[in-house]
Amino acid sequence: MLDLLHEIERELGGHPEELNEAERLDALESRRNVMRMLQALALTSLFLLVFSSERLLTWVNGFEVGPVQDAVVSASTAWHDAMSEAGLTGPARSMRGEVDEFRATDWAEIRHLIERESTRTREGVRLLRGAVSDRQG
Amino acid sequence: MLFPTIEFGIFFLVVFTASWAMRAVPELRKLFLLGASYFFYGWWDWRFLGLLFVSTLINYLAGLALARSQREGLRKFIVGVAVVAGLAILGFFKYYGFFLTSLAVLLETAGLERDLPFMQVILPVGISFFTFQGISYVVDVYRGHVRAERSLPNVMLYISFFPQLVAGPIVRAADFLPQLHKTVSLTRAHIGVGVVLILSGLLKKMVVANYLATELVDPVFFDPTAVGALDLLIGIYGYAIQIYCDFSGYSDIAIGVAALLGYRFLENFDQPYRASSLQDFWRRWHISLSTWLRDYLYVPLGGNRHGEAKTYRNLFLTMFLGGIWHGAAWTFVFWGAFHGTMLAVERYARRQIEFFAPASTAPGGIMSALGNGTQHLVGIVWTFHLVCFAWIFFRADSFATAASYLAGFVRWGEASQYVTPFMVGLIAIAMLFQFTPRHLGRWLARGVQHLPGPLLGLLLGGGIWLIWAIAPEGVAPFIYFQF
Repeated sequence: MLDLLHEIERELGGHPEELNEAERLDALESRRNVMRMLQALALTSLFLLVFSSERLLTWVNGFEVGPVQDAVVSASTAWHDAMSEAGLTGPARSMRGEVDEFRATDWAEIRHLIERESTRTREGVRLLRGAVSDRQG
Repeated sequence: MLFPTIEFGIFFLVVFTASWAMRAVPELRKLFLLGASYFFYGWWDWRFLGLLFVSTLINYLAGLALARSQREGLRKFIVGVAVVAGLAILGFFKYYGFFLTSLAVLLETAGLERDLPFMQVILPVGISFFTFQGISYVVDVYRGHVRAERSLPNVMLYISFFPQLVAGPIVRAADFLPQLHKTVSLTRAHIGVGVVLILSGLLKKMVVANYLATELVDPVFFDPTAVGALDLLIGIYGYAIQIYCDFSGYSDIAIGVAALLGYRFLENFDQPYRASSLQDFWRRWHISLSTWLRDYLYVPLGGNRHGEAKTYRNLFLTMFLGGIWHGAAWTFVFWGAFHGTMLAVERYARRQIEFFAPASTAPGGIMSALGNGTQHLVGIVWTFHLVCFAWIFFRADSFATAASYLAGFVRWGEASQYVTPFMVGLIAIAMLFQFTPRHLGRWLARGVQHLPGPLLGLLLGGGIWLIWAIAPEGVAPFIYFQF
């Protein structure tokens, strides 16, 4: 994947007489990309603040005790409560629930699941064959 | 400050914004990145900032002295002094306790017990990495691969640049210093590569490595006598995946962060478990260390230029010293010696096969292709298991633990305690990614690099959200921080 960066560097090499123009374009392109990345980072931060407020709370709860820290903790708690009430922390909780359920699954359940699926497939095949022969008949 | 933490996220936001705001004033930008790197290192333990500076200063002065001296003898002396000084600092912090403990045991065995000057020496994080980078600088200047830097801040930034400072990849002076003399740019490719590598690194470390560590590997290695053979077998497969995801995850994030700041590091891992020989494995695993050992140890020892016997000796010595580099314990010494021995055996076997059954150059039919495919597959399985065997010693805290781990492989009758469908699924998926097309990451990066800002934000935010949602609570330190 890193050869992509080599290619770009080769392209930026250019002829000496074109360098000034190339440098100007390069600066312009860099500025555009920095703005694009800043936009992306701002949106990422907002996304995580809204949908992962629990992580934020866990993080600030690890701070040492002090007036500033206490204010940060209480603001974060209020923020997390507001996000929870709005139902925005629900997706993360349900995702974690799914993972926890899979973690708790044992081999007997997997065997049972496979048997159930194979029975369902056999049933499906039988029904399909039945339908074909009905139509033919 | 660990990469997958909110602290680092805030730190990176500030560094990214401020450093690109200074793009038009390159010297100021470099000074800012240097300050940020020292801040990053000081976050662990500010007392070692002085050590980092002294180590850098020695190499900087040696580079200047090399640039001024013409006599070969003097140049060799300068490079020798710089390398010995670097290794002495590393040796003191990393091996002092190990050396004295081993000496005490030896004297006790010989009936010559003495009071030895034991001290509690704290190992500065990343010392093995920045020492090797310093050596790389001096030797590259000596060999003429890179010019001696006049600017101390440039050398300081090369050695302390925060993405690679504490656990690599080991960046070569000849690769990085020229980048400091160019105007830095942020291209679409940098963004594509950076975002894909950061997300894949976080996924590898926070999900795969952390789950495998806490729910399989740590309990199995804690007391190997308490579990059956199946747990031990899947436990070592799990460790093979854990250490890969942990270390390559860190490397991915480091390379991705550097890319977003406009710098290029070389690849550090290349699907190592698809290697069909040990030699192939070492071309794919911790590439920056294995190429460092090749160029600064194996080649100066003579490489393969002085006959077969010396080639085997050099292979062994290189891997043996590579093992010691990893840690001050006999288990690491064994790990390195095992790899060195097996590389030598593999080379000998290959030469014998080539002599007695030379490969045919004629185009083969379907049977020949099948034969080659089978041979390749057997090579992959054999290499993976050799590597796994060596990982037992790498992971075990003592030879006794490693021995009880190996002895446990007779207990096939015992029911498994830790081999759950979730663990097997994680291992299987991670193994599957060892065999995906080599350019998968490149294709993904190409797709990402053209996304507009808001979509890029959704991808990055959604990706991190998903990783946080499915990862276990807390952040375990990276395995390679201890080295």
